[in-house]
Amino acid sequence: MTTTTPETARRDPRGAEPLLSVRDLTVTFKRQGEDPFVAVDGLSFDVRPGQTVGLVGESGCGKSVTSLAIMGLLPDRGNTVTGSVELDGRDLLTLSNKQMRDLRGSDIGMIFQDPLSSLNPVVPIGRQVTEVLERHKGMSRKSAKPVAREMLHKVGIPDPDRRLTEYPHQLSGGMRQRALIAMALACEPRMLIADEPTTALDVTIQAQILALLRELVEEMDTALIMITHDLGVVAGLCDEVNVLYGGRLVERGDRHPLFHDPHHPYTGGLLSSVPSLEGDAAERLNPVPGSVADNLPWTSSCAFAPRCSNAIERCREETPAAVASGDRVLRCFNPLGGQASPAESEEDRR
Amino acid sequence: MSTAATEPASDRAKGDRTRGDKGEVLVDVQDLKVHFPIKRGIIFDKVVGHVYAVDGVDLQIRRGETYGLVGESGCGKSTLGRAILHLEESTEGTVTFDGQSLTDLGGEDLRKRRRDLQMVFQDPMGSLDPRQSVESLLVEGMKAHGIVGDAEAAMPRLKQLLSDVGLPAAALKKYPHEFSGGQRQRIGIARALSVDPELIVADEPVSALDVSVQAQVINLLADLQEEYGLTYLVIAHDLAVVRHISDRVGVMYLGGIVEESDAADLYANPLHPYTRALLSAVPVPDPDVEDTREQILLSGDLPSPANPPSGCRFHTRCPWRQESRCDDERPQLRLVEIDGTTGSHKVACHYAEQIASGEIQPHDVETQTEDKPKELREAEGDEVADDIPFT
Repeated sequence: MTTTTPETARRDPRGAEPLLSVRDLTVTFKRQGEDPFVAVDGLSFDVRPGQTVGLVGESGCGKSVTSLAIMGLLPDRGNTVTGSVELDGRDLLTLSNKQMRDLRGSDIGMIFQDPLSSLNPVVPIGRQVTEVLERHKGMSRKSAKPVAREMLHKVGIPDPDRRLTEYPHQLSGGMRQRALIAMALACEPRMLIADEPTTALDVTIQAQILALLRELVEEMDTALIMITHDLGVVAGLCDEVNVLYGGRLVERGDRHPLFHDPHHPYTGGLLSSVPSLEGDAAERLNPVPGSVADNLPWTSSCAFAPRCSNAIERCREETPAAVASGDRVLRCFNPLGGQASPAESEEDRR
Repeated sequence: MSTAATEPASDRAKGDRTRGDKGEVLVDVQDLKVHFPIKRGIIFDKVVGHVYAVDGVDLQIRRGETYGLVGESGCGKSTLGRAILHLEESTEGTVTFDGQSLTDLGGEDLRKRRRDLQMVFQDPMGSLDPRQSVESLLVEGMKAHGIVGDAEAAMPRLKQLLSDVGLPAAALKKYPHEFSGGQRQRIGIARALSVDPELIVADEPVSALDVSVQAQVINLLADLQEEYGLTYLVIAHDLAVVRHISDRVGVMYLGGIVEESDAADLYANPLHPYTRALLSAVPVPDPDVEDTREQILLSGDLPSPANPPSGCRFHTRCPWRQESRCDDERPQLRLVEIDGTTGSHKVACHYAEQIASGEIQPHDVETQTEDKPKELREAEGDEVADDIPFT
């Protein structure tokens, strides 16, 4: 056992140049016989080395599609991706499939939600880790083996020599997720995207994995995009939090101000929906009413208006713009706590 | 179906049925064990071991209360819930429901008794027949228990059920795929309610739902309990959810209950090392709490329930483990009296008092690789797998 107290004063990575810069990312799915569906709508954010940026929202808010679009993993047909995703000034969206293949795994690593379906069931763990090194670093399988062993050891897999020869089904869920992280980190990527990395795991294992990710970010100065629906995970891990709703950014802020003083009614609603471990247990929860199915189209209104406790007439008639003030970005006409509402509606970009 | 036979039943359905006093023991589980045999062999099945899913659980649920059962995957909490409903054959032990032993019941008697014991499942899509309309889903149980003769007679009750769970009456003609996850879970709850049960076992009722919808369903469960005087056994892995809805909470680890107390007391004064670790691992949506709190990171994974550790099941991962007793003597769930706890706090730890007083301090734990029993490894051909060259 280790007892950890996270450092209260973290290094502030905000001064650095962004490593990844996403601008106006829009993903549209074409649907047969139906109107195209805009899954991600004009999303922009930056990630700096050593910074952890959270994308938070409920199912259908576009957070996973965002990560797939950044990685170039969306299918070639049936969708259009516009905007730009710049890694070190190079637009990933313009790269060919072959160029992307060279980047994935070496410069950008990804950790998926379900480790069992992301690992090849008929290939030993060790070979799956060395494969990355062979592909990107040109190492021979023999010379890659000690590196793979070292990686497994680093992510906390006990007895790595035995585990190298084992197959995914022989590992426990937490161990599989560690193996997946070892694969993602084998080439020491500068950018790591974690899509719900702990959702399939138990809380004690989740705590282990989160501690591991936190350590890696600090040690290797990796930029991390953390995609999750769990506000608790975000509160402990992310420096900057982006709250998504219906494919658009509704609020952005540093984790302290965002959690203490949420401005957007959706952020506030999410926070008050979560039962807490402290305070009065008998207190009734304040859920966000309705479900995503009630959404209005963003093009002519605020999508969240039908479920919003603060909705005013204007919310159903105009599209609110994302307005930045300092580090905070807010898309709302009538925010919680009565902040000044943005004066003009967003112009339709398309 | 004869109407005469259904009349007293439909009286019950309106909520007139007499129920025992609130607070008396409704479900009494004594030393319940559920062991699943592990079989191997091509022609003849040979039992090579057992998975000790539930291994000696004592549990009382009082009428009108919500008992929360928490634990990580593989700890046997779902199996325990199913064994209480007699959906899983128990190996040993007894389950007494309202003074009647369920363990001895079988066939028709058990089927009739099931009316009082209903279940809400985790996956609302998987537990609703996609080819049945909501009406037919809800009427099926009522017909089987002779509460109503046909769908027409059931109509007033159906409408009542739907309004109870917050769905429009138009939902009756629709099919499960037409609803969102939260609405489907409401249908599942309405189906459990349709036969007017006394006990509802809810196995992870909200874990498949989005946070905002989760809160709606939690509130709904609380409202229904108040209105119909239901008793709940809620099985969940989310500690915050369990704290919110439960009156009493039991924490399970590897087939046994390690700690049990009133919800508020358990969360304020966790005594068992496992409960402490579990509570410290829950991420809290408050950055200040996250920055300052002490986390007890457990090393390793849950040992295999096919080969549970000797003595205290938790000793392999326990930061407070002692040289004596922990390794070879299995602690029983016992009442402990420590300042600040209520009189009903039970814990299965030899050294609960010393740990609470700080007399025993935590230490580092060597990560132990969990191993399956030797016979099982041989049966699975593990050593063959070890021979496959790595390159």
